[in-house]
Amino acid sequence: MHFIVLFALAVQMPSAAHALTPRDSAFHALNRLAYGARPGEADSVARNGVMRWIERQLDPDHIDDSQLAERERQFKILDYDRADLAQRFQEARRERQRTQREGPHPLTPSPAGEGERKPMREFRELGGELQQLAVVRAAISERQLREVMVDFWTNHFNVFVGKGADRFLLPSYIEETIRPRVLGRFEDLLIATAQSPAMLFYLDNAQSVAPGSAPPQRQLLLRRQRFGMNEPPGDRRRRQPTGINENYARELLELHTLGVDGGYTQQDIIEVARIFTGWSIERPERGAGFVFHDWAHDGGTKHVFGLTVHGAGEDEGIRLLKFLAMQPATIHHVSAKLCARFVADEPPDGCIDAAVGAWQRTHGDIRAVLRAIFTSPDFWSAQAVRTKVKTPFEFVVSAVRAAGVEPDNTPQLAQLVARLGEPLYQQPAPTGYAETESHWVNSGALLARMNAAVMIAKECSSIAPTEDHSQLVDAIDQKLLAGTMSAHTRSVILEQLNDLNDPEQARALAVGLALGGPDFQRQ
Amino acid sequence: MTISRRVFVKAGGLALVSLGLDPLFLARAAYAAGRPAVRPSGRPVLVCLFQRGAVDGLNMIVPHGESAYYQERPRIAVPRETIVDLDGHFGLHPSLAPLKALWENKSLAAIHAIGSPDGTRSHFDAQDYMETGTPGVKSTGDGWANRYCQHDREHADTPFRAVAFGPQLPRILAGSAPSLAIDDLQAFGMRAPQEATRDRLTRAFEELYDGAGTGLLASSSREGFEAVQMLKQADPTQYRPANGADYPPGRLGRTLLQIAQLIKSDVGLEIAFADCSGWDTHVNQGSNEGQLAARLRELGGALAAFNQDLGERMRDVVVLTMSEFGRTIRENGNSGTDHGHATAMMMLGGPVNGGRVLGRWPGLGMEQRFEGRDVAVTTDFRDLFGEILTRHLGATGLDAVFPGYAPAPGRFVGAIRT
Repeated sequence: MHFIVLFALAVQMPSAAHALTPRDSAFHALNRLAYGARPGEADSVARNGVMRWIERQLDPDHIDDSQLAERERQFKILDYDRADLAQRFQEARRERQRTQREGPHPLTPSPAGEGERKPMREFRELGGELQQLAVVRAAISERQLREVMVDFWTNHFNVFVGKGADRFLLPSYIEETIRPRVLGRFEDLLIATAQSPAMLFYLDNAQSVAPGSAPPQRQLLLRRQRFGMNEPPGDRRRRQPTGINENYARELLELHTLGVDGGYTQQDIIEVARIFTGWSIERPERGAGFVFHDWAHDGGTKHVFGLTVHGAGEDEGIRLLKFLAMQPATIHHVSAKLCARFVADEPPDGCIDAAVGAWQRTHGDIRAVLRAIFTSPDFWSAQAVRTKVKTPFEFVVSAVRAAGVEPDNTPQLAQLVARLGEPLYQQPAPTGYAETESHWVNSGALLARMNAAVMIAKECSSIAPTEDHSQLVDAIDQKLLAGTMSAHTRSVILEQLNDLNDPEQARALAVGLALGGPDFQRQ
Repeated sequence: MTISRRVFVKAGGLALVSLGLDPLFLARAAYAAGRPAVRPSGRPVLVCLFQRGAVDGLNMIVPHGESAYYQERPRIAVPRETIVDLDGHFGLHPSLAPLKALWENKSLAAIHAIGSPDGTRSHFDAQDYMETGTPGVKSTGDGWANRYCQHDREHADTPFRAVAFGPQLPRILAGSAPSLAIDDLQAFGMRAPQEATRDRLTRAFEELYDGAGTGLLASSSREGFEAVQMLKQADPTQYRPANGADYPPGRLGRTLLQIAQLIKSDVGLEIAFADCSGWDTHVNQGSNEGQLAARLRELGGALAAFNQDLGERMRDVVVLTMSEFGRTIRENGNSGTDHGHATAMMMLGGPVNGGRVLGRWPGLGMEQRFEGRDVAVTTDFRDLFGEILTRHLGATGLDAVFPGYAPAPGRFVGAIRT
């Protein structure tokens, strides 16, 4: 089986990749399926065959990743489950409220920072760890394609960490909902996100109930009231949701599945929202899991996309998600987005068609869809190679890999990503970050990239200092850019090195310019 | 989007063929086309201050003439005798006393009962709606201030046209029109301890990108280095506030000082944006003294200093405070307030039709409230933003800035002198 696949690929390759040397092809694959090449990696991948490397990346379970496993053990955040994190957050909040009650501090108006109490600071530090963990994984994992897909799907099914309970629900969303399913079936991922407490909270479905419905305890309370027992005043009454909330239904159709031009109406959104009434979280404040509240479910008949749905409770939603996962609009929308990530900002039809075909043949097997993209001629065409600009995350991680920087557990590198404009897990809009360069290339962000490059260059371990400037720039070209440095870049760097005699200084400057220059921004 | 022929010629036909039609690249090229060498001072400027966390409008611009205000807030109402009265019905929180002089000279106005047509009480959603300018629609990609910049090209001749002070570009300025996020004016550009190193890096990177041909990378870097150059000439390190202005210590004062600097340096600033946080007063809010009083003191002091510093230049400047929603009319069990609906905004500057509390006051009576508990919204925030864009900045069409709404002059509250 394996042999046949490889053979098929080998047949497809030559016509498409005629202009690329084996090393160029390997560098291209490493730029797109991985977070760039480590020094020498383009050569080793080329030697063993780029298609063989791609096949291996599509089968990550058979890649040894013990080094990463070792590093992950240093991250405290992985020791806590959702309930632990919820508890820590609630304690931190209570502590903060207690100190606020004890008295205002009129002379220290700063709301955060110095005055912040320890538990809240510790909780924030855990949040920082979560971001840095993403950087560490992307930088050192051997299962590079898997990490790229974690980033892709986390962004596709975006949840904003700053919204209420998502502060403590997000870590398990990444670990338990997204990560295990990134190369599985799309419908499994879709269902998992729909039932994840993080998404249920983020897009408000947790409080979407059939109009007029009330939980059993509340009915009890109402009955008691009728007999003259007073309900305590305050918030309890207001917090009870009273009707359907369309947010999840709308984003499910517009962003997760059919796409904005997917041909659905406002009425469809309402019907879908009715189907998901009762999909909720057991006790969000305690970090509990998904629950289906039968009492909150709209038991009426819903008509949507030609389906008639009624009387099936939770299963109505599951059936709808499976239906959506195989709709042509969904397949096209998600395939085109994958192609925008892997091939070009404005992907050609050829690779999209290939992805769509694979999706239909395999019932949405993400691995097969990716394979179709990686073997399509568009992926290897001159219009695709080195034409995409790296995202902030791709830029920082690829610079770290190329420069041989050992990422530590401090949030420093994650903060660099944030400074370039796309802080991890902090996109408030459900759209996630866009897949096209116009959203991250702007003058301020570009200057920030240059500064980041200079910073990373100071810790470079992959280039040896030397007094011979020409040799130094050669080494940088080979190890950081796999031989793709432009003549212009080369001459500018050499000119800048002219009056520098100290080899350490020369190395830092040359590496900084190379990483911050235009050649390294592209992939 | 229409692209002028001039831009095609300037950008070069070859680039268009080899890059494919990259609309944003062309759009940015269009922005860059024909920049004048001298930027006249006297252009209108809008400064937006976002009070994140939902400010208690009722304790900021206090309706002391309403008995319900005192009935509902036995512990946190601002005592009558401490209030800085404005018109016999409303008054300023005592912490805002430094702004009273601006009320007297008619350059300060308040707008009460302003907010969103969407009833959400989530900070996150409401901030999002206020910045995208599309209440109820979550998937809007860009902010209204950016959309204004996209459609009004007249001032698109400087990288400093739209600047957000902070580490990241906020939603309000996100979008395809170029805008800058500046954390610290003095550190903008290449960072290095020695000036010589800074200059070397700046020169080197500028040259590197000069050879990068066309496309977004090249045009963005040109914009960036142009900004660095302009700022260097303005020399922010040498800045001293004028007229004895004394900014309060802390982030807000520092930010407003930098905005004043940027306005005075004539780099073409049209829209400045800054955040100030700490308004989510669920617990122990305080009344004339306390938590909220401290935040308002910083705000009032910073605004007064800004006004002082800019002096004559305030004739072209409008400062607008905004917040995602207001807070409950009734105080809660923790001597604080919970998430509500309408709130109050303040505007100051020469073009402001000041000395008045604008908007229709709905009253605090039970039947006048939103959902029985909050101040009702009588002014859609888009009508105020739209009025400022039209009458102050000179926007010609609002349909594209506020899709699906298009604020109409008939709904303007009269915040800008005409």
